[in-house]
Amino acid sequence: MASYEDQTFEFMKLALEQAKDALANLEVPVGCVIVEDGEVVASGRNRTNETRNATRHAEMEAIDFLVEQWQKNGLSPLEVSEKFSNCMLYVTCEPCIMCAAALSYLGIKEAYYGCANDKFGGCGSILSLHTSCSQLPTSGFASSKKGFKCTAGIMASEAVYLLRSFYEQGNPNAPKPHRPLKQRV
Amino acid sequence: MNRATGGTARRMKNKDEDTESVSPQIIHIPEKPPFLPHLQPTVKVHAAVIEPKDANTLVRKLNQIAPLENLRHVKRVQKKCIGEGKLQLCLLLSTVENDGEVDALPYEILELVKSYQLSTYITKVCKYAATSKEEWDEQCKLWPTSYHPPTYNISGITGFTEEESQSVFNFMRHAIDLATSCVGQVVNAAVIVDPSTKQVIASACDGVISSASPANEVSKEGSCSDYPENLNSSNLENQQTSLLDSSIGEFERVISNVACLHPWRWAVQSLSPSCGCWHPLRHAAIVAIEHSSARDRQLFPDYKLNGEDSIKEDCTLSPSKRQKIMDSDFQSNDRSSESVRPYLCTGCDIYLAWEPCAMCAMALVHQRVRRIFFSFPNSNAGALGSVHRLQGERSLNHHYAVFRVVLPEEVLRNKVVDAKIAGCG
Repeated sequence: MASYEDQTFEFMKLALEQAKDALANLEVPVGCVIVEDGEVVASGRNRTNETRNATRHAEMEAIDFLVEQWQKNGLSPLEVSEKFSNCMLYVTCEPCIMCAAALSYLGIKEAYYGCANDKFGGCGSILSLHTSCSQLPTSGFASSKKGFKCTAGIMASEAVYLLRSFYEQGNPNAPKPHRPLKQRV
Repeated sequence: MNRATGGTARRMKNKDEDTESVSPQIIHIPEKPPFLPHLQPTVKVHAAVIEPKDANTLVRKLNQIAPLENLRHVKRVQKKCIGEGKLQLCLLLSTVENDGEVDALPYEILELVKSYQLSTYITKVCKYAATSKEEWDEQCKLWPTSYHPPTYNISGITGFTEEESQSVFNFMRHAIDLATSCVGQVVNAAVIVDPSTKQVIASACDGVISSASPANEVSKEGSCSDYPENLNSSNLENQQTSLLDSSIGEFERVISNVACLHPWRWAVQSLSPSCGCWHPLRHAAIVAIEHSSARDRQLFPDYKLNGEDSIKEDCTLSPSKRQKIMDSDFQSNDRSSESVRPYLCTGCDIYLAWEPCAMCAMALVHQRVRRIFFSFPNSNAGALGSVHRLQGERSLNHHYAVFRVVLPEEVLRNKVVDAKIAGCG
């Protein structure tokens, strides 16, 4: 059986494959896989341009797939919550504040990411939503504020390389250029 | 009526007066936490009394070896009158780290301390630059700072005309009506509005539990320009009465399904459904964004990612010129909306009954919403001032303005909400 470390790289390679697929489709190249009991149960990549919905990040795509799947199998919210608590996320770039919050709400077990996200990162860069520092009294496991373990820097250079190639080719769907905006302020 | 500039003072005053009839208010939630002028946060610094003749040399040397990176508003030297017309100069050496041990000062500063035989002491300076004259006056009592009154143009961000205010109140009533449109429970609701046409772009309720989404809809184009004015308010009033009649414990139960208030509680939600579509992350704002992007795809189906048609033509213009054209197109009401496809929710406002959680607040950054209006603060998980303050995170690539809208008929209800939140804090 492959070592723990080998496995981590194997899963991150799959996440990078997803990111490459995003790049090929003119999307910001971020990809992820979700692993339950050592098996990939979902994968996702950015679809913000295609959907014109800037919240369709790789993590959200994979999560929605899982929720739908488990719901189809007749699982209750409590059972779904239990399944998420066994899940690991491998994502090429640090989850943004939105995704980090979502992962905490779902109560996933652990996240591994490639490069840091200096602008939006919710797992240490801007906010630290993965650390559970609840001052509020909470009742019962399933309803309490949850943190998750986060490991950074897995194949970060590969992730950065993809992002760089995307921004060099230019985001065809980017808003208006930034510079004139600043001049107007 | 221009009520949107104040901070805590007006809000607190309002709380004292809320037994009287209170006119609706729009309260700006600023980028940094509001502090009473005499309660501004401070940081500890090393300082030392110096000889006036050494001041220039020491300031120059210190600015080189230990510039005050995060305290740019703080002056290096404090002048004190010590009686009989004598002045004493104190010099700020550096911020205090590692429990304030003088030995922990950087080597270069220690050298200065030795060669000028300075005796150091620890004092406090204000952490953030003053945003008002009152704050500045208080700051200077501790240690002198500089103050730059805001020079940016606040029109369109704050400063609501009477007409704009009325429109804001109407849309907020609409959002609260949606939030209370289910019998026996309250959820969060979101209404995305294009303020240039006063048109509802999309609206949604929490879809975390299946039975809680009666009013999710993508608005059909042109059908809702005067929607808020036509609202049937009986629903709201009924809810209002029943909410006010209920005890605080009852109220707590009634609002326990508001997704942004309890985002971790989805698995044990009181109305546990066995059927239908529930989703732990389908908070009202997320669903409304989804609807607005569906509307975008529906209205502009032929838009190509690589930008054939109009986008290509535009590209021959300079970026700034293109910018101006897009802006003017977007703002003018008489053009058909087909003429320009807006980028995401640029220029749009969103109305939420409750202050959004971190997930929703960040989603609204991503979708480039211009202004957020909410009615009830969310001390459990709110990300626009209560727990986090995303509008003040400078590294984000987009910033919206945030307002709390207080409607008069909710004053009593606010009390119940406040009591409830205080009770679990």
